[in-house]
Formats: sequence, structure tokens, C-alpha cells
Amino acid sequence: MEALAPGGVLVPSPEFGVLATDERIAAAAEALERNGFRALVVDTGQEARFQVRELLPDGAEVFNNTSRTLESIGIAEDIERSGRYQALRLRLYQMDREMQRREMRVLAAAPEYVVGSVHAVTDDGSILIASASGSQLGPLVSGAAHVILVIGGQKIVADLETGLRRIREYCYPMEDERARRVYRVPSGVNNVLIISRVLVPQRVTAILVKEQLGF
Amino acid sequence: MFDYDARPVTPQVIVAGTHASAAAYAIRDFLTRNGQPYDWVDVEQSGAELLLHVEKIDVSRLPLCVLPDGTRLEAATVEQVATGLGMVSAPQLAEYDLTIAGAGPAGLAAALYAASEGLTTVIVEAVAPGGQAGTTSMIENYLGFPEGVSGNELATRAAAQARRFGAEILLARDLIGISSDGVGYVSTLSDGTMVRGRALLIATGVEWRRLEASGIDRLLGAGVYYGAGPSEAMACTGSSVVIVGGGNSAGQAALRFSRYARLVTVLVRGETLAASMSQYLIERIAGVSNIVVRTGTQVVGAEGDSRLRELVVATDGGNPSERLPADALFIAIGGIPRTEAAGPLELIHDEGGYLMTGTDLASAQGLLGGWPLERQPLPLETNLPGLFAAGDVRHASIKRCSAAIGEGAMAVALVHRRLAEVGSG
Repeated sequence: MEALAPGGVLVPSPEFGVLATDERIAAAAEALERNGFRALVVDTGQEARFQVRELLPDGAEVFNNTSRTLESIGIAEDIERSGRYQALRLRLYQMDREMQRREMRVLAAAPEYVVGSVHAVTDDGSILIASASGSQLGPLVSGAAHVILVIGGQKIVADLETGLRRIREYCYPMEDERARRVYRVPSGVNNVLIISRVLVPQRVTAILVKEQLGF
Repeated sequence: MFDYDARPVTPQVIVAGTHASAAAYAIRDFLTRNGQPYDWVDVEQSGAELLLHVEKIDVSRLPLCVLPDGTRLEAATVEQVATGLGMVSAPQLAEYDLTIAGAGPAGLAAALYAASEGLTTVIVEAVAPGGQAGTTSMIENYLGFPEGVSGNELATRAAAQARRFGAEILLARDLIGISSDGVGYVSTLSDGTMVRGRALLIATGVEWRRLEASGIDRLLGAGVYYGAGPSEAMACTGSSVVIVGGGNSAGQAALRFSRYARLVTVLVRGETLAASMSQYLIERIAGVSNIVVRTGTQVVGAEGDSRLRELVVATDGGNPSERLPADALFIAIGGIPRTEAAGPLELIHDEGGYLMTGTDLASAQGLLGGWPLERQPLPLETNLPGLFAAGDVRHASIKRCSAAIGEGAMAVALVHRRLAEVGSG
């Protein structure tokens, strides 16, 4: 379980922050392909950013999930600030919180494109994503027409069990610290999505990056 | 859905100033109407220095804007902020088939239909897409939106739709002049940009009529605002808000502010709302407990120190004037047409300044003395060939969003006829 430092602060377990070898990343990409994902492997975060630009058509409606990965390599900025896309977060921001609540929920639930990241990828090609609120999981499963996931190379794990352990012992402490700082509320591993097979061809693109990105 | 899903994750503009600053209000209003998220820092509140990462705030250099890239704009203006955010672009073409002045409902509709039918199209707009309708909190009687749609949302969708078909929208500069140029017209913007169009549609709408009462001008932006003040709703939480006007804009503003303010008082000069406001709004307002409508009442003065504190109002029937505590006053008392830029062209207008078009021109004796063509002016065409008017700026227009949209769409068909007449240039 999570390690507690003095004062009750959770300490991320360092074993899950290690970048996988190129061979292991390539093997994970092949496994993802076998499971119906479109898998791409790139060397750097900037190449991933370029790849996302290639995948998103101009004018597309895009929701960017909250993600350190997307923020750190400029993808969140591209989506929200470049003017190339209909950034759904900006559109939702403009809407009336009370009178358009239902419309906002519908829009957020079914974006044309969702761009996000994951918390773990298993060697046999499953992905795991945890969420405190769960609000961003629905579009990943089926709501969004297209899903693009940018994944740092340190997130590859042996199996689902290790993936769950990575979420609890590594991602959660860091996300909890972020949530307390940004939202002033604790985080929680309240919802975990596992995608082991994608049935709609080309719907989910996983970009594996040979760099350490995000949590 | 959670509220943090409806916020950008990247850094946003920070606007810092005092609540009594008209310059800060202009920036907040511009950003709000353009759907640009921002964080407002009131420098009179404790902790402002910390939020702005400075030891001491130079109050002589406010408002201060910090852009997402870290650029700090002191004594910032709307133009500087718009430029800093990359919202100011140059026209892509040397000449367009159609220039549209104004990105309200009429202008946006014309841009959409013109661009979708293959006309090269550009809109010039001083503030934001949406015009007066864009500041409306909820339009409930617009076709196809059974649960209503906010003016801002409608404008955002329309602008995206028009851009998707290739229309350009040049924002954040005033249109300061229009002149004839062969068969077409040249529009000059406040930064010197010139836009040449073979046809021109004036869809500049109206601006709010000024309220003639003592103290109003001094407190403008410091508690006194023209229009529905979409950027101010949250700031009115728990306060006492007064809205002057009896039209739909005033009614919609009352409903918006009633969700934040402790009390909303609507002051109407006439004896009833029925003459000027849609029935559905009258019924909505009647069902909200913290909205009070006072008919036969007008503002004769506004008083305050650095910001508005109270209003002096007079009622019909010769009663002595009364003092009404007010934290904010929103003035929505009808409009005056925006046609200054076209002044030198001597367009024919009615007594109120609204542009005369089509059969209204042809049927009025003596108005068309200088008309150069054998044919009569087309519907929506002014007394200058190829120069059209649509929406609220036009004489005898129906002052409704859907009517303006209809006129914008109709104008495009007429522009086609005009362009066929003058050839491919």
C-alpha cells in the first residue's frame, strides 16, 4: 500500500517512475495493436505533440482531459489556445452553469475528439485509467468518436494487478497533492477504467513516448 | 459533469484593477463577450500582491493584465489585450466579394450563407461575435432550441460555423470609415487596416441609448453599465441591482442577475411591460421573488463616491423623487443605430438614423434622386448600389434575433444578384 511520510503525506513509490526500455515499449505497442488500438511510438514529447496535431483535423471539437502529460509537452495549450480547434473546455466555460447544465453534460459526455493520458499500460496491451470523479472516463469508453492517448514510457507495467498497484502507490499520491493544491480537495482512486480490447477499428490511438511524461 | 471540466487547464489572462475602474470593466467585458476565460484580481482585496507575484501594486499603472505567456501589460487597453492574445489578424485577401460590418446575428448569418455559397467573405467587428444578442443570458424563443440558448453560445456556434466555411472575422478594431471604390467599397478600421469588398453589408446594429441623468457619465464602468453586463453577474452576488428598460434585453438581464443579486429592480418608464417585452419573459419575471418591476418610473440621478451607491428615481404622478440604494445599474433602454462610419457616404436614413432600404426608398418621394441604375434598389439595398443593410440598423426592421438572421441570409441572395450585375471584376 501507499507509503506515508511523517505528517501523513503519501510518498510515491519510486519503482513506477522508471522509463521502460525501447524494446519493452515496442512490444507494448504491438500488444496494443493486437487488442484493437492504433499504437504509435515516438521518441520525444515534442514528437508526440506533432503527432497529435496531425491526428486532429482543423476545426475539430476537442476535449482535453486533465493531464500533466498534455500540459507538460504543450498539447493542452495547442488545444485550448491555438484557435485551430473548437476547444470544448472553453465552450463549456462560456455556458450558463444553471440554465444550460443539461446541455453542458451532454457536450462533455460525447466530444468528437478526446485527448488524454493513462496511468498504466500492461505488457499484454491493456490500459488503466483512474479518476476521482469519473467524469472523463465515459467519453474514453464510448462517448467520444475518437480517442487519443499520450503515454509516457514509464507507465508500462507487467500486468493489471501491477497496474492497479501503480495507480495506488505512485499516481494517487501525486494526483492527491495536485488536487489539494489546485482544487483544494483530496483526490481518490474512486473509478478505474480498464480497456483490454477496442472493438471499433482506429477509434483509440495510443501514442507511446520514449520519455518519462506525467505521473 | 464537474465544474473543473468546464474550465481551461492552461494558464489564463489575469486582469487586475479596482472595481470602480471603467478601463478594467472594458477589458473584462471584451474578454467575457469573446469567451476568453480570465481571472479577475481586485487590487483592493487583501492578497492581491501575492496573486500578481509583486511586492507592491503600482495603482497608477492599472489595469494590469498578465497574459498566458507571462507578458505584463500595465495601464492595459482592450486593443493591447486583444493583440497580445493573438485575436487581431490582418485580412487574408486584397479584395472580398462581400465585406460585412458587424458580427451580430445578421452579420454572422450573412457570413455563413455567403461563405457557404462560395463568396469570399470577411466580417469586421469591434468587440465580439454576437452583437447585442450575444450578451443575452438566455434566448428561449429561438427556433430549434426548446430549452433555450444563451446569446453567447449562439454567437460562438455561428462564428465557428461561418469560419468553417471560410469566412474571416476581423475582431477588436472599430470600423471608422467607409468609402466608395469603383463598384465596391473600402472599409477602414481603427488600426489603419483597409478591407476592400465588391459588395458591403452594414449589419452594425444599435448601441444602447444614453441615459440622460446626472452622475451617470461619471460612474460609467464603476457601477453604471450599458447593456446586460455579462461579465458582472458573479460580482453582483448578494447585491442590489437596478435595470432600466422595458425590452427583452432588460427582461433577460433581470433574470440573469436575479440568480446572483439579493434584489433586482426593473425600472420601466411606460405603464406596462406588455408593449415592449415578450410575454414569456413577463411571465418568467413575475415568477421570480427577488425581481421587482416598477412601471412609470425613471432614473433622474446616480450618486456615489468611487462607485455607484444610490439612484434618484422619479415616478409618474408628481410624487417627489425617491432614493433607491443600488450597487449596480444596467441601462438597456433601446438603441441608436451605429452608422457613423458610413457618414460621408450620405446614406439615406429615417428620423431615428436607421438606414432606408429597398422599397422604402423607392416609395418615398424624392429620395432616390441620385440613384444611378435603371433598376430600383433591391430589397435591403441602400441608396448606394451594392451597399446593403440588415438587422437592427435598418429602417423598419423587426427587433428580434431571428428576424436579423433572416435578413442576413436574405442579403446574401441579393448580393449574388448585385455581383452578377457588375461582373467578376
